[in-house]
Amino acid sequence: MKTFKKFNLLLPSLILFLAIMGPGIITANVDNDAGGITTYSVAGASFGLKLLWIFIPMTLALIVVQEMCARMGAVTGKGLSDLIRERFGVKVIMFVMAALLLADLGNTVSEFAGVAASGEIFNISKYILVPIVAFLVWFIVIKGSYKMVERVFLVASALYLCYIPSAIMAKPNWGVVFKAMVVPSFSFSPVYLAMLIGLIGTTIAPWMQFYIQSAVVEKGITAKDYAYSRTDVIVGCFMTDIIAVFIVVACAATLFVHNIQIATAKDAAIALQPLAGRWAGLLFGFGLLNASVFSASILPLATSYYVCEALGFEAGIDKTWSEAPVFYWLYTSLVVIGAGLILIPNAPLIAIMLWSQVANGVLLPFILIFMLILINNKDIMGRFTNSRVFNAVSWATTAIMIALTLLLVVISVFPQLLA
Amino acid sequence: MKRITSQREFFFSQTLGKPIYDRNGKPVGRLRDIAVRWDNHYPRVTGIKFAKDVQKHIRIGQIEQWDERSIRLNVVFTDKLQHLTEEELYVGKWLLDKQIIDTKGSKLVRVNDIMLAWIESGTAHELILLAVDVGVRGLLRRIGMETLVKGQPQNLVDWKYIKPLESKMDNLRLTLEHPSLKDLHPADLADIIEDMDSISRTHLLAGLDRQTAIEALTEADLDTQVEIITDMDSTSASEMLADMPPDEAADILGELPEEKSSELLNLMDKDEAEDVRELMEYEENTAGALMTTEFISFPADTTAEDCINRLRELKPSTETIYYLYVIDHAEVLMGVVPLRDLIVAQPQTELGSIMRSRVATVRGDDDLRKVQETVTKYDLLALPVVDEQGVLLGIIRVDDVMETVFPDRGGLESFTDFMTHSKSWMRWKP
Repeated sequence: MKTFKKFNLLLPSLILFLAIMGPGIITANVDNDAGGITTYSVAGASFGLKLLWIFIPMTLALIVVQEMCARMGAVTGKGLSDLIRERFGVKVIMFVMAALLLADLGNTVSEFAGVAASGEIFNISKYILVPIVAFLVWFIVIKGSYKMVERVFLVASALYLCYIPSAIMAKPNWGVVFKAMVVPSFSFSPVYLAMLIGLIGTTIAPWMQFYIQSAVVEKGITAKDYAYSRTDVIVGCFMTDIIAVFIVVACAATLFVHNIQIATAKDAAIALQPLAGRWAGLLFGFGLLNASVFSASILPLATSYYVCEALGFEAGIDKTWSEAPVFYWLYTSLVVIGAGLILIPNAPLIAIMLWSQVANGVLLPFILIFMLILINNKDIMGRFTNSRVFNAVSWATTAIMIALTLLLVVISVFPQLLA
Repeated sequence: MKRITSQREFFFSQTLGKPIYDRNGKPVGRLRDIAVRWDNHYPRVTGIKFAKDVQKHIRIGQIEQWDERSIRLNVVFTDKLQHLTEEELYVGKWLLDKQIIDTKGSKLVRVNDIMLAWIESGTAHELILLAVDVGVRGLLRRIGMETLVKGQPQNLVDWKYIKPLESKMDNLRLTLEHPSLKDLHPADLADIIEDMDSISRTHLLAGLDRQTAIEALTEADLDTQVEIITDMDSTSASEMLADMPPDEAADILGELPEEKSSELLNLMDKDEAEDVRELMEYEENTAGALMTTEFISFPADTTAEDCINRLRELKPSTETIYYLYVIDHAEVLMGVVPLRDLIVAQPQTELGSIMRSRVATVRGDDDLRKVQETVTKYDLLALPVVDEQGVLLGIIRVDDVMETVFPDRGGLESFTDFMTHSKSWMRWKP
């Protein structure tokens, strides 16, 4: 009888959670994009398990940042770009949007680079695969209804689980893995520092804050249901980092122990084929393709949304091309330029990704400070402002993030500094 | 508040940060924000915030002069000031940059800038928020780069289409589907134009599409029409006049200096100029001066079907469609077919067989009184004007007659009045 009662209490909560979940989990999965997979692979291949400890503090930082955005979205019903524009004005939002546009164009390029790389695993020329994927991505968003798009993305995100069997088939020593998770091993070697910053930079990117807050608003989650949304955020953050951990483990157990150095995820996938059987390579390839396509469809779309909403142009895929021309042209340009740059022979891909990394890095400290000002504003947040303890944690996170991203920007612009 | 400003409309972004001086020319501070009370369609400005972190503000009554360069007070500045009350809002803090949402709740555009305007209410002057700038021009004006898009039209939404805020954090909501100045009734638009100075008028008219601009100008009072045409360059002015009803064009040209009006007439299309010239020959307050040469006429052997097809092609304006005049080869008026009779007739019926041959008419030189009496007596929407031989010269529309009865139609209230009056005219009495 007692258990029955408990069940009765649990069931409605569970249904509510299932209805509300989504924004946090989708955001988290878009985060494991081509750039992320590349970075995690290189980290595993070059340093083995040495960087694994960073994932626990990084997950906490990710939760702190994402939770604040989800809370702002639920309480105010407004996106992050809305709040920044309303509180800080036109000049600030124009700077923020210009930086975001630049950063996300770079991110989109790296998504299509991921598509091209996965094509090499399946022996499909990038001149065929990239245009097809770009067109499909563009077409689904332009012609499909939003609900369908969202469902496609949700189903697609389950494919990330491919990384787990891929890692298991590589047969790592699990005892060593668990120890590496909890015992920090720090080094002041420049290469190590660069890798550390790269990991954090790819995991906590500025667009995610905009994305999760808009997704919460879009879903109609209010302050009343917020507790469930927080669970969604936490689950999402853990999913991101668990998958990231499996990638690092897989690469450490195969490439690192055999002393194979890699430069990109493409090398990582090719290197996995002889070591863990042909299935591991295929899984890696599928995972990379899925991650790239997923992010390549969400990033340009989301970026067009924020820019248009912030600057006051009509936006939304439920509007027609003539109703929201700026929105559609921006979206189309991002996809076309993003995919087009990959197809140019000898395109300066490295330079593009480098500058987008810099734009990301310059933007993140501003976004974090804006968020902290906004979330502590009683006019905006009412009784949902940060508690003192949460503020201490979030300011500390912000300070560390700012220090690290500044370092990242410096070494991106002056790579010889640490070499 | 006696000597009000050189500038009647200005944008919030243009006045923000401008210095404030007291009566003795001593600097008081800079304009940081504007407080408004939103208890009417248009929020009224009640005070200004003059320094950061000072929550008290200067009341509007203490402002002597407010223009784009500075603000001057009519008192010696003291810090005995009033706090913001519950009903007051800060424009910059709570209205600027807000999202505007349509009736269905979908996000549309943003408050890029806000247009303020001085209006007269009774003997007092009030500063109101007139419109929201939702366009690219407003956006670029905020960052001081409006010159980049100087030629682009303004994109303004009249403030009366915005619902008052329920809470300060709310988005602004529209009361209509897609209101903008161009969706205002031309008569309302005309009222706004009449109240503006010449610079703002030029801006506003330039922002409207051609058809709307012409309709608004047609509805404006004669003084305003003359001022606007005088301010325009000759080519645009003649194009504008050519597209207006000939009677309105004739009235305007009649008010202009001889030299100017013949210059404009020469620039116009020959036929149109001829129509207007004829109308200009009539003396003021006669039927001829009041009439327009825009009317619809058909030969008696036209079938109802052909007639309707022709109307579809012509797409005549509302005022002229109610009566179809039947004329012979010498253009002598034979009869009239009301629109209703045409629609209910069998397709092959000839107009000659359904027309009413007893038609009330006036002569071109008949006076105003005769016109008013005839229209009232026969309950007509338009009255034909003929010459001695019975040749149809033009028609006088009921709204032109109404204007002679209520010449002081100025504000929106009398417009509403006019609309309710005209409803009884609209009812068809065969």
